Amino acid sequence: MKTGINTRIAYTYMVSKVKSTLVAALGVTFGIGMFIFMNSLITGTNDYSEKTMLSATPHIRLYNDNKISTNDMLNRYAGNKTINLISNPQLVPQDNRIINPDAVAAQLNKRKEVIALSKQVTANIIYSKGNVQENGTIFGVNIEEQDKMFDITSNMIAGKTKSIADNPNNIIIGIGLSQKLNLKMGDYVRITTSTGLTKTLQVSGIFKTTIKNVDETKTYVSLPVVQQLLQKDRAYITDIYVNVKNYNQATEIGNSMAHQTGYTSESWQQSNEQSLAGKKIRDIIANSVIFTILLVAGFGIYNILNMVIYEKIKEIAILKATGFQGNDVVSIFIQQALLIGLIGSVMGLIVGWLISYLLSKLYLGIGNVTYLPMTFLVKHYIQGAVFGILTSFFAGYIPARKASKVDPVSIIRG
Amino acid sequence: MSIALKADNISKYFYTPEKFKVLSEVSFEVQKGEFVSVIGKSGSGKSTMLYILSTMDTDYTGNLMLNGQQVTGSPVNKLAAFRNEHLGFVFQFHYLLPDFTCLQNVMIPALRLKKRSPAEIEHNAYEKLKTLGLEDQALKTASRISGGQQQRVAIARALINEPAIIMGDEPTGNLDSRNTAVVFDIFKQLAAEHNKTIITVTHDNDFAAKSDRIIEMKDGVIISHDRKPHEL
Repeated sequence: MKTGINTRIAYTYMVSKVKSTLVAALGVTFGIGMFIFMNSLITGTNDYSEKTMLSATPHIRLYNDNKISTNDMLNRYAGNKTINLISNPQLVPQDNRIINPDAVAAQLNKRKEVIALSKQVTANIIYSKGNVQENGTIFGVNIEEQDKMFDITSNMIAGKTKSIADNPNNIIIGIGLSQKLNLKMGDYVRITTSTGLTKTLQVSGIFKTTIKNVDETKTYVSLPVVQQLLQKDRAYITDIYVNVKNYNQATEIGNSMAHQTGYTSESWQQSNEQSLAGKKIRDIIANSVIFTILLVAGFGIYNILNMVIYEKIKEIAILKATGFQGNDVVSIFIQQALLIGLIGSVMGLIVGWLISYLLSKLYLGIGNVTYLPMTFLVKHYIQGAVFGILTSFFAGYIPARKASKVDPVSIIRG
Repeated sequence: MSIALKADNISKYFYTPEKFKVLSEVSFEVQKGEFVSVIGKSGSGKSTMLYILSTMDTDYTGNLMLNGQQVTGSPVNKLAAFRNEHLGFVFQFHYLLPDFTCLQNVMIPALRLKKRSPAEIEHNAYEKLKTLGLEDQALKTASRISGGQQQRVAIARALINEPAIIMGDEPTGNLDSRNTAVVFDIFKQLAAEHNKTIITVTHDNDFAAKSDRIIEMKDGVIISHDRKPHEL
């Protein structure tokens, strides 16, 4: 017999009430099971929506924004002797180019956290075939850089990404556009810019990202094509896309890049704020559900211990009479609560995994969501067990303290 | 003979339903190895006094020494440890833990004391049950034996830590005459042969008459420190 007498008493009390013990443990089981399932689903959903966002958005986008007029120039001209004010300041329209993009790119590439970088020129254009027209955005890119960032190659359903680098008359289009304009590999599509310039390009590849908006509007060509369409020089670059190692820090890194280069940065979080709000709301919903369930489980344990203590009050009194201290009594009932919590938690881990596993096979088939997105992270299971045992501890502590305060004289004298 | 128990001017009040002095300036001594019975009518304060002597009730004035140690004013946990080691209790009801076997019930106070290994404790507990003629019941659950046997198991439990003083609150109050005689003989033997001090509160005058000394109480005071049995 290795265990202490308190543990043995706790264990015996628990075993003598198998049914109530099981009911209390089941409360914890469902609490923990739900905790694990909810967390797995929420994390799965968040991961999925993050992945969707990042398949179309770079971690950081650097661009040249129109700036509002400030006092700087006026101060330089008029000096500090006068107070210089600009009434009704206006946005200064600028050529939105990034000046000397290669130097800027080289500078950014020196940063350790940068893993991919891509220079682009974009233009809003009209695609047309015959008399049918569709709006869209054409991306002039260095396809190798872009591929490294968004892994376009894995989304290709026809043709090769490299084709647009090989031939300046090639274009890669999305599956949506290909259906709308009935474009097949090798077909020609006419591009018209807002200034009326047109160009005819040959389809050399079709991609499918499963994001409808991207598949219907986005096309890739090599950089010079768009520069030509916009009647700009070969150094004309409007955006630099950057991917970093830890994309959760994109905003901070972006700000530091903006500070370093003087351009404006926009992280993926900033451009997807509504999605991140959705994530927050999901977290809050999940946490309140979990909290409620754990609370109910806690009450279950609280109830059974109260019942046990009420029934065993004479035994508690005699234990105290024969020399058990208040701490021993607390220890007996806390241990009983923890035993219930432990059994409940272990079953909860299994139930949680089972629910998660079964529901991860649930077919949805809406948009690009095929199955319910589910994660299986050890972290959630550890957290679940810890929460289960903590709940049991606190639920057990209150009745245990009450039991420890039993006055043996009043009980034994009756 | 040395003194096992010394009560000095012990007074106690009850506050509900109204303030009432249940014990007033009670003083007495008990020698080691003495078998003392405390008698008195209901409401004489004898049980109240016993629970003060047992150290479980700390709400009193006066001074109490047990086994040469000052117990008045000690913290609750220290008193619990003191009871565990030096005092044994037998109550009117056996108060055994019904989910445990008789052997385990006897072992529990010793397992709490942790002076011996569990194997030794088990051996001692079995020996105690044997001297009380309960070796056949050792592994039965405490709720499955007769009332007389339960009371004897309770005595074995009171003895397991070899306490110097054994206190009884109507230890035979719930027993038939045959079992009463058995319990009395056990007490007598413990006092005579093992030099244990025994203090019991009892209603049973025959039981009291056979003990070494009778203390009689009335209305919260001791009216006789050595009532002669024939006067009862």
